[in-house]
Amino acid sequence: MISFILIILTSLFFSGIIIRTKSRASGRKGPGLFQPVKDIIRLFKKGAVYSKTSSFIFQAAPSIYYASILMAIMVIPLGEYRGIISFEGDFVFFAYLLGVGKFFMILAALDTGSSFEGMGASREALFSMFAEPAFFILMGSFALLTGHTSFQEIFASLHFGSYISYILGVLATLVLAMITMVENSRMPFDDPKTHLELTMVHEVMILDNSGFDLGLILHATNLKFAMYGALIANLFMGSFPLYLTIPIFLGIQLLFAVTIGLLESFTARFRMNHNAQYILALSSVSLLIFLGVLLMLGQFS
Amino acid sequence: MITIPFVPHPFRARLSFFIVCLEAAVTTVPAVKALGGQDTHLVLSVNQLAGNWSFHVDRLSAWFMLIINLTCINGALYGTGYMKQYEAQRANLSLHWVLFLLFQGSMLWVCMAQNGLVFLIVWELMSISSFLLVLFDHQQKSTLQAGINYLVQMHMGVLFLAAAFIWVYFSEGSLEFSAIEHFFSSHSNFWLFFLFFTGFGIKAGFVPLHSWLPQAHPAAPSHISGVMSGVIVKLGIYGIFRMVFFLKQDYILIGEIVVILSVLTGIYGILNASVHRDIKKMLAYCTIENIGIIGIGIGLGLLGLGSGNGLLVVLGFTGALLHTLNHSLFKSLLFFTAGSVYLQTHTRDMEKLGGLIHRMPVSAVFFLVGAMAIGGLPPFNGFVSEFLLYSGILLGIKSIGIANNTLMISALAGLAFIGGVSMLTFTKSFGTVFLGNPRSPLPREPREVSPVMRLPQYFIILIMLSVGLFPLFYFSVTGSIVSAYLPVMAGEDFRIPAALGNSISAIGRFSLLFLALLALIYFTRKKLTGRRPVSTGPTWGCGYTAPSANMQYTGKSFSKSLGKLMNFMLLEKKKYKEIRTNEIFPPERKYSSHYNDFFVTRVLDGLVDRLLYSMNYFQFIQNGKIQMYILYGIFFIVLVFLGTALKLI
Repeated sequence: MISFILIILTSLFFSGIIIRTKSRASGRKGPGLFQPVKDIIRLFKKGAVYSKTSSFIFQAAPSIYYASILMAIMVIPLGEYRGIISFEGDFVFFAYLLGVGKFFMILAALDTGSSFEGMGASREALFSMFAEPAFFILMGSFALLTGHTSFQEIFASLHFGSYISYILGVLATLVLAMITMVENSRMPFDDPKTHLELTMVHEVMILDNSGFDLGLILHATNLKFAMYGALIANLFMGSFPLYLTIPIFLGIQLLFAVTIGLLESFTARFRMNHNAQYILALSSVSLLIFLGVLLMLGQFS
Repeated sequence: MITIPFVPHPFRARLSFFIVCLEAAVTTVPAVKALGGQDTHLVLSVNQLAGNWSFHVDRLSAWFMLIINLTCINGALYGTGYMKQYEAQRANLSLHWVLFLLFQGSMLWVCMAQNGLVFLIVWELMSISSFLLVLFDHQQKSTLQAGINYLVQMHMGVLFLAAAFIWVYFSEGSLEFSAIEHFFSSHSNFWLFFLFFTGFGIKAGFVPLHSWLPQAHPAAPSHISGVMSGVIVKLGIYGIFRMVFFLKQDYILIGEIVVILSVLTGIYGILNASVHRDIKKMLAYCTIENIGIIGIGIGLGLLGLGSGNGLLVVLGFTGALLHTLNHSLFKSLLFFTAGSVYLQTHTRDMEKLGGLIHRMPVSAVFFLVGAMAIGGLPPFNGFVSEFLLYSGILLGIKSIGIANNTLMISALAGLAFIGGVSMLTFTKSFGTVFLGNPRSPLPREPREVSPVMRLPQYFIILIMLSVGLFPLFYFSVTGSIVSAYLPVMAGEDFRIPAALGNSISAIGRFSLLFLALLALIYFTRKKLTGRRPVSTGPTWGCGYTAPSANMQYTGKSFSKSLGKLMNFMLLEKKKYKEIRTNEIFPPERKYSSHYNDFFVTRVLDGLVDRLLYSMNYFQFIQNGKIQMYILYGIFFIVLVFLGTALKLI
């Protein structure tokens, strides 16, 4: 429960921090921290314009997307404190829930009959498909290391025995951070600030959404950031008491947001047609973690 | 059954449906009894020569019989509506319904037969009746070709099975299934299992034995493809299961091979599905993928048997059994909707369709549900069986040695990858067929299909939801099947751990919570936005003012980048004429592209070509002269006579 509340809270200022960091890095003052949330609230109050081509799927998809992400957040624990949903193998449920949301967003994009949105949808499907094995290999390695298969048990027992696990944690952070960027279509994979529809991924998929639905989608994106940030934070919390975990959680979220801001300010995007390979490379980092786990368990001796 | 041709024409389909239900009802009783632990025996003593033919309904056969009955009832009901379009072909139609009954009956007997000879006879009956069902549209050359291909491949399968049964017969002196068990306990297990696996694998469609599937499924009428994909393919799985339960050793080796083969089958199937534009071909390749998923479960169970891990055995086998049920449900649903689309538009080419959701909203929802379920998305049934497999793999990672650790992590990544590609495949298919604008003019305006065709689909969705939301019940049924066959595991020290039961019921509970949350958000949205101004307009064309339906993203382009990345496996054949530099006014030209099956073009075709080439040398024997054939006959009679006279034979 506590992680759920914390993630919702974090989502309110997460993209504010990213935007602020980016403005500072480019020498501007930038909008206030809560500007993105204010934008979303304004969208919630608006009416909507729908395409003639679209059907009920287009109208239902944002709600399904939002619900799937809320459900996924419920799975995430905070150190020792389990999420609202916690059972053995819950991370499979987590991944597939996110899949439901993605499935409907892709369909909604195709529903408009626009070639640009179709293009974005195709890319979204392709990229997230390649990111999937990385996540599963990562979680599989941790399951092997800890002997548990639920988020909470894995994270709570990750750091018993050896400090090498922190190194694995760093590698895992890399993988999770990159998955976040793929899932949210951010910088090295997609530039959210691009002005050309041909080169967009996520932004072009929601070209036709407006009003309440657009607000839902935008907030869902923020929630997604905070959700992955929480996963990363969990890698380093172990079984500390609550007065330590909450500051760690917030600190890591802050650090994560600033890092994303810096990354977006100082890197160029990857070549679109090579993105799939870059993302597939994440799986090899995951495999590295797997090898590390095998080493730690002394399987090679 | 024989009465069908004699009743008046309009009642034939109904009578057939009635008999299908009757057959189902009669066989469901012993099946349900068997699932409750009460097996039914039936021994027919035919004559002295053939000995006793024993039939037996146990839990495993019961499970498959229930699946067969369910799918056949749905198929027959859907078929009564679907076949209305062929009303003119009266004789053909009544033959079709007779064959359908034969087909259902033979499949049921296959599940009950306990004797090698009887098994082969009913197996053959099933193959032939399904072959004739495929051939319904026999005026088309492509259908004939697909049908013959199917027939030949099925007989290759029978060859392997017959060889295996004969081997057992010569070793044990009996064709009863119990002899196989005896054989396994006293001989090396691998090679006999290999024979059985190849024979059943052709039916099931394991790569590289799959090439009949993508040809036969599109050729058959839709309810037949639904039943074929839903059940006939599963009988291959049934055979493999039967043999797996007889195995006594070599578990690890066989398990490893099965897992590797299955992961490859899954990936190969879904990758091919993602690029094809024929909707039924796409579904056929997707069947191959699901066979791969089922195979992963079987392999996991075998690895569990080898390493003595009872929980892994249960997870693997129950995952496979449950996925068998699940796949037969959503695949027949998808084939039925594909059939409805075909019925209304007369094309299977997805690139010619589009925007059907406005014309056929109910069918669109059916397809959507099927697509979600097949992608393993909660709250539908596909997720439950995939979850069991994931749990099995995760358990396998923990509990078996290093060689298999790597295997397990690849299976995990493979399963995740399959899930990802199947999402791409089905968003593509659904998006191209049902969403957007119509891509080409159709012969007539498509309408929603008749209620009699929709009814079985509602029924299927209901069952699918029941699996998705109350998975514990289905898990305990399949669990009891598995533990009945593995006495070692059913012993006092093995019980399904509470945590597993918890997680499985948790899936159902939280899927329900997901639906509730969804409803909450949707109604909040409705409430809040109800009075807001809503306007409609054209899709945002990024500034372009004259968009046309041809400018929509096509299915081909949707999966193009994947096809390009995987071009070592997905062979694209393009036909076009390059524009030369000196062509100032290039004339109209054509561009065509299609994908070839890797195994067919790269492996099988070459093999067959070489075989035919060498066979050419023997063509002089078959010269078409009757006199010569009579001479051959005399020659052999003399040979046999001499052989016996000289005591050579």
